[in-house]
Amino acid sequence: MTASDGASTSQQSEPVDVEQDLSNGATHYSLSRALLARKDEYVRRHRIRVKVGSWNVAACPGTDKDLAGWFVDGKGLDNTMTKLDAHDQGAKSTEEQEASEAQGSTDSSQEGEDDSIRLVGGAEVGLYVLGLQEIIALNSISQYADSSAMSKWQAALEAAMPPYYKLVTSQQLSGLLLLMYASPEVADTISNVSTVSVGTGLLGYMGNKGGVSCRIMLGETTRMVFTNCHLASGHDQANLERRCWDYSRIMTQTQFAPLNHGGVLDDEGEKLGDEDFGFWFGDLNYRLDGLPGDDIRRLLMLHTRGEYDLSKQSTKSKLGGEDGVIVMQTENDRRNSTDTPSMMRETSFDQLDDDDGTTDLPDPDDFLPDPHDDPASVQATIDSLLPHDQLSRTINSRKAFHEGWREGDITFLPSYKYDVGTVGLFDSSEKRRAPSWCDRILYRTRKDLEKHHQKLLDEVEAKKKDEDMKERGIDHAADDESVLFDYDPDKDAASGSSSTNIYDYDEYDEGDDAPENGETETVVTKEGYKDGIKLDVYTTHQRVTSSDHKPIVALFTLDYDAVVPDLKARVHAEVAKELDRAENEGRPGVTVVVEKGAADEKDLTDGSGGIHFGDINFLDYKERSLTVANTGRVPASFCFVAKPDISGGAEGDRHGAAPPDWLHIDIQPPSMVKMINGEKTVNLEPGETVSAVIDLSVTELYHLHQLNGGIASLEDVLVLRVENGKDHFIPIRANWLPSSFGRSVDELIRIPPRSGGIRGFIKKLRDGGTVSETAQQGGSRIPQSADVHTSSPHELYKLTEAIETLTERCVADESILEEESAKIPRDTAGWPFAAEIPLLTSSGEYDDQIAEDQRSLSALIQALDTDTPTQILDALPPGLPALKRLELTAHVFVLFLRSLSDGIINGPLFSQIEAALPFLSPATSAKPGKDVEDDKTTILDILATAPYNNISFVFITAMLARVASEVVPLTPEEVAALDADNVRSKRGSSVRALGVLRRTTSSAGRSPSGSIEGVDARNLQRRLDWEKKVGELLATAICRHGGGEGGAAAINLSDKQRKASEERMRGLVQIFMRRRDGV
Amino acid sequence: MSTRGGPAAARGMNARFAQFKLVLLGESAVGKSSIVLRFVKDQFDSYRESTIGAAFLTQTISLDENTTVKFEIWDTAGQERYKSLAPMYYRNANCAVVVYDITQAASLDKAKSWVKELQRQANENIIIALAGNKLDLVTEQPDKRAVPAADAEAYANEAGLLFFETSAKTAENSVLDIADQDSDQEA
Repeated sequence: MTASDGASTSQQSEPVDVEQDLSNGATHYSLSRALLARKDEYVRRHRIRVKVGSWNVAACPGTDKDLAGWFVDGKGLDNTMTKLDAHDQGAKSTEEQEASEAQGSTDSSQEGEDDSIRLVGGAEVGLYVLGLQEIIALNSISQYADSSAMSKWQAALEAAMPPYYKLVTSQQLSGLLLLMYASPEVADTISNVSTVSVGTGLLGYMGNKGGVSCRIMLGETTRMVFTNCHLASGHDQANLERRCWDYSRIMTQTQFAPLNHGGVLDDEGEKLGDEDFGFWFGDLNYRLDGLPGDDIRRLLMLHTRGEYDLSKQSTKSKLGGEDGVIVMQTENDRRNSTDTPSMMRETSFDQLDDDDGTTDLPDPDDFLPDPHDDPASVQATIDSLLPHDQLSRTINSRKAFHEGWREGDITFLPSYKYDVGTVGLFDSSEKRRAPSWCDRILYRTRKDLEKHHQKLLDEVEAKKKDEDMKERGIDHAADDESVLFDYDPDKDAASGSSSTNIYDYDEYDEGDDAPENGETETVVTKEGYKDGIKLDVYTTHQRVTSSDHKPIVALFTLDYDAVVPDLKARVHAEVAKELDRAENEGRPGVTVVVEKGAADEKDLTDGSGGIHFGDINFLDYKERSLTVANTGRVPASFCFVAKPDISGGAEGDRHGAAPPDWLHIDIQPPSMVKMINGEKTVNLEPGETVSAVIDLSVTELYHLHQLNGGIASLEDVLVLRVENGKDHFIPIRANWLPSSFGRSVDELIRIPPRSGGIRGFIKKLRDGGTVSETAQQGGSRIPQSADVHTSSPHELYKLTEAIETLTERCVADESILEEESAKIPRDTAGWPFAAEIPLLTSSGEYDDQIAEDQRSLSALIQALDTDTPTQILDALPPGLPALKRLELTAHVFVLFLRSLSDGIINGPLFSQIEAALPFLSPATSAKPGKDVEDDKTTILDILATAPYNNISFVFITAMLARVASEVVPLTPEEVAALDADNVRSKRGSSVRALGVLRRTTSSAGRSPSGSIEGVDARNLQRRLDWEKKVGELLATAICRHGGGEGGAAAINLSDKQRKASEERMRGLVQIFMRRRDGV
Repeated sequence: MSTRGGPAAARGMNARFAQFKLVLLGESAVGKSSIVLRFVKDQFDSYRESTIGAAFLTQTISLDENTTVKFEIWDTAGQERYKSLAPMYYRNANCAVVVYDITQAASLDKAKSWVKELQRQANENIIIALAGNKLDLVTEQPDKRAVPAADAEAYANEAGLLFFETSAKTAENSVLDIADQDSDQEA
C-alpha cells in the first residue's frame, strides 16, 4: 500500500487543505476532502487480471465454439511459429485440432508444450472483456436486428468461464458485440455500468461500422472504459480517412450516463477521456502502406512455411521463454500481492511457478540473442513491416488515436487475412489481400491523456515564443547556432533501441516517467487514488483458424484501491465528528459586559446581564455602556439584529420590526462599524474590545401617550448576534414615571394642588386602589370620577406665569445690562417659542450643550410632574441666563400643548368654531378691529360651553399677547396704522397691512413727509412675522381637528380639508395675539 | 433513491449531503442545553447556567454510507421574557425539538403551547419532536414522575409529533436518534 505518501501526492490539482476545511466546518466539500485525505484507512489494494480480447469472426460458422479455447483457456498461442507447416496444419480441421488438444495425445510433445504455455485464464482473470466483430454477416439486412447471435456468443462464453462469473454488460451493434464478465469478487465492486453504441457505417450512422463502449466504476475509485470497434475497411487513402472519421465520431458521440455517487447523480454524463483507464480494441482495419501486398504475403509465408528457419531451436525456446514470463508473476510481484486480500487465484500462479520455475533465472550461457537483431527471425521481418503500418502513421500525423493511446509491442504475425481453417496461410483467394495488423488492442491511462494535453499546450506556447522571436528578428541570428546544437540525444537514443511504446512521440516522457515493459505504471485516478497498470501480454492466438482473422488478446495486471464500504462509513463518521468539533470549538465568541450605572440603575439581578435604566422621565436622557470583547480564538463579527415582527407575520422578513425609537446604540469608536449586508457590523480580532453606548430617552409624543396609557412599557431585548456564533440577549428595562405631559385638560384639572403633582396623585390613587395595579408601570389614566380641583391645568398656569415673568425679566435685563448676550433676538420670528432646542437623540452626536439643555428641559418637566419645586424655574440651574431660561420654558410650554391628548380646543369645540366662522384664517387678524373683535367674541362664546378649556385658552392667549407686546411691541400709532390701513382699504385683506408697509418703506429714505408719524415699518413687519410664526407653532397644538374623536378624525380628513382646517386654527390663534389697546 | 433531501441537499464527491436547521424550544430549565451538549459533545454538565441568548452549534451525522446530514442547531432561551424572540430561530427551521421535564407537569403545558405556535407560525413542513427529559430522575425515584409517558405520547400522536423520553444525563434515548428519524422522514 502507498499509505504514507498517498495524501500528499494524490492531490495534484487540488491540495488537501484540511486546516482550511476545519475552519469552514463540515460542508460536503470539506467532508469529502477530509475523507479522501484518510482514504488509506478505508481502501484496500486489489490486484486483478484484466483480459481484453478482440476477434473479427467474419460471420464464420463455428467461431463461437473456438471462443472458450483461446479467450478463457488461453489456448492456441503460437509458440512454435517457425515449426509450423501451414499446409499440414491447414489440412487439419478446427474440430480435429480441438479434439487433439483436448485429448492431449495425438501429437504428444507439441501439444503438451502448448498446454504448458497457456495464457492466464479461467478464474485467474478478474475481468473478461471481449469485443467481437462481424458476428452477423454485414451484408445481410435480414439479420440486422437479430439478437440470437448475441445469445449464442453469451452462451458460448458463459459455458467456458467458471460458472460463478457475472455478466457486467452485453451490447450488440449490428455485427459488433461487447461482452464483459467479472469474477464475483470483482463484480461486487463494479458500479455505474453504462454501455453506449455509436454507429458510423452507412450514411454515417448505421451500425455496420462503429463502436460499442462500456464505462464501469471499479471499487468506487477507478473508472474504466472499454471500446470495441469496427472501423471502415479498405486499403486506399479514402478508406484510411474514413477510419479516422469513424474514430473521431465514436470519440465525440459516446456519452455515458451520469455517474451516480451513492444516489446522487452527476450533472453531466461522462465522455471518452473521463476514464482513468481506457481500452480501445477491435478491427481497426489499418493496413500496411507502401508495400505491394504480394511481397508482404511472400515474405511472411516464408516464415509460416518454415523456409527461413535457420535458428529453429533458439527462436522457439526464446518465444517459449517469453511466454513463460507472460503467464507467471515474478517473485517481486508475488511478494507485493501477499499483503493484500487479492482477488487473484494465488494457487494457480504458484502452480505455474512450479512448472516453469527454472525459467526465472536463465543460465547466462543460454542467453539468447535478441530476435530483433536476428535478420532471419520472424521478429526481424515483423519489425521491417511495422514502419509501414497505417495505424502508427496515422498516430504520428495526429489524425486518430493520437491522444495518448498506446499499444504493446507487436511480436506476432499480422492477424489478417488467412484462409479459414489454416494457421498460417495468408489469403489465397483471388483478391490476395495483403496481410496486415487490422486487429489491435490499444490502451491509455489518465496520465497519458494529461500528458497529451500538456504537450499540446506546450506546443502552442512554443509556437507563440517562436513567432515572438521571429517578430523581433532573433530567429535569423540564431540560425548559425542552431546548426551546432542540432543534435537531439533523445532521438538518437530512440533510434537505436526498440521503444516500449512505439508511438511514443512524447519527448517529455523521459527517464523515470516512462514505464519499461513489465513494470507497473502508477496512475492517479479522477477520484484521487493511485492505481497501477501493467501490460503483461499482447499477442494473437495464431492457431485459431475458424475465421479469416486471428483473435488478438491483451492481458493486463491492474492494481487499484477499492473502497471497503464499512470502513469508509466509519472513517466518514469520524471525519464528520472531527469537523464538527473543530467547527464548534472554533466558533467565534464574545463576552458582553455591562458597565456599572448610577445608583438608581440597578442591573437586572437575574443573571442575564441586562440593563435597568432606573426611573425615566419624559425627555430624560440616560446612557449606559456595554463592552464587547472578543474572548474567542478567531475573529468575530457581530451586529445588533432586529427582532422578529410577530404581529405582521411577514414570511422570511429578516429584518423584522424596527428597533424602538427610544433606544439607540452607538458603537465607540464609530470607525469600527462596517456596513455588511445592510447591517452595522463590527469585526473584532481576538482580544479586541469595543464599546456600545446604549441611550434611552422618550421624546416621541405617540410613545408618551402609549406609556401614559399603559399600552407600552420601557422594556426590550437587544439581540447581539455573533456571526456563526451565539446570539446574546441583553434585556433592557426602565421605569416610566407618570407625566402630566400627554394627557388631557380634563385629566389634569383633577390633580389636587400640593399633592406632589401628577406623580404624587397617581401614587395616591394606586395606593388607594383606584387605579389598577396591573396597569403598566407609570401608565394609568386619571379617572373621570376624580374631583376637579382647578379650573385649568396647574401645569399650564405655571408655564404661562413663568414665561410672562421671564419675558419681563429679559426685557428689563436687555435695557439694564446693555450686553450683547442679553439682547433679545427680536429678529427671530416667534422667539422665544421658536427658539431651536435640539435633543440628543435626534442630533446624532453627543454634545455637552445639547445634553445640558435636555437636562434642563427634563428638570422643568419633572418639576411640573412632581410639583417640586413649586416654582418651576427653581428647577433650572441657578447660573442660567434669563434668555436661556425663557427659551427652555417656552419650549416646554410648546411641548406641553402639543402633548395634550386633545389640545385646548378639542375636536368637537373646533368643529363648532369652524361652522360658525368658516372664513377664519391668518388674514382675519388684518381685518378691521371691530370685525376681529366680533370673531373673538364668537369663539369665546363657543368656548364658554367648556369652561375649563376656555380658561386654559384665555391663559394661553393672554400670555401670548403679553409676550408679543414685550418682545415685538407696537406703538399705539402703529396699531392705529394697521387698523387705519384696514379701514381705508377695502381690497383683499391680506395685502392691506402690507400696503401700509410698502408705502412707508418706499418713502422712508427719500421723503420723511411720506411716512406716518410714529410708525416704524420694520417694526410692523417684525410683529406680523412674529404673529405668523407663533400661529404656525401653536395652532395645531392648541386646536385639534374636529369632526370626530381626536386623531381618528384627523386621519379621515383629506389633505385639502386638513390644510383649510389648519388655516383656520392659525387664524384663531393669531387674532388673540394682539390687544386692541396696542400694549 | 430519491435525490430530494431537505433544503440544502448538495452533491458531494461520493455522497448526498443535506443541511437541516433544528431548533430546541421549551420552558426554562427543562434541559434543552443539556440535550444539545449530549448531542454534540456527548457530555453532561450538572451545573449549567440559564441560557440567555441562543447558542448555535452544528452536528454532522451519516445516515448510511452515502448520506450525510448536517444539523444546524439553535438552542434557545426558555425564559418567558425571551419568548417573542423565538420566531427568529424557528422560522425556516426544518425540525423542532420541543422539550419538557417529565418531573414538572407545567412544562408539558408549556411545550404544548410551543407546539401550537410552531404549527401556526413555523414552516408548514416542520417536523416536531416532543422530548420528555430527565428520565434519569424517574428511574431513580419513580414517584418523581409528574407526566405519565402514556399521556404525553397520546398527545404527541394526536398532534402528529415524534415522541421520546430521554435523559441528557445518562444519554438514554439520545436525541441523536430523534434527529435521525427527523431526517429520515425528510429525505
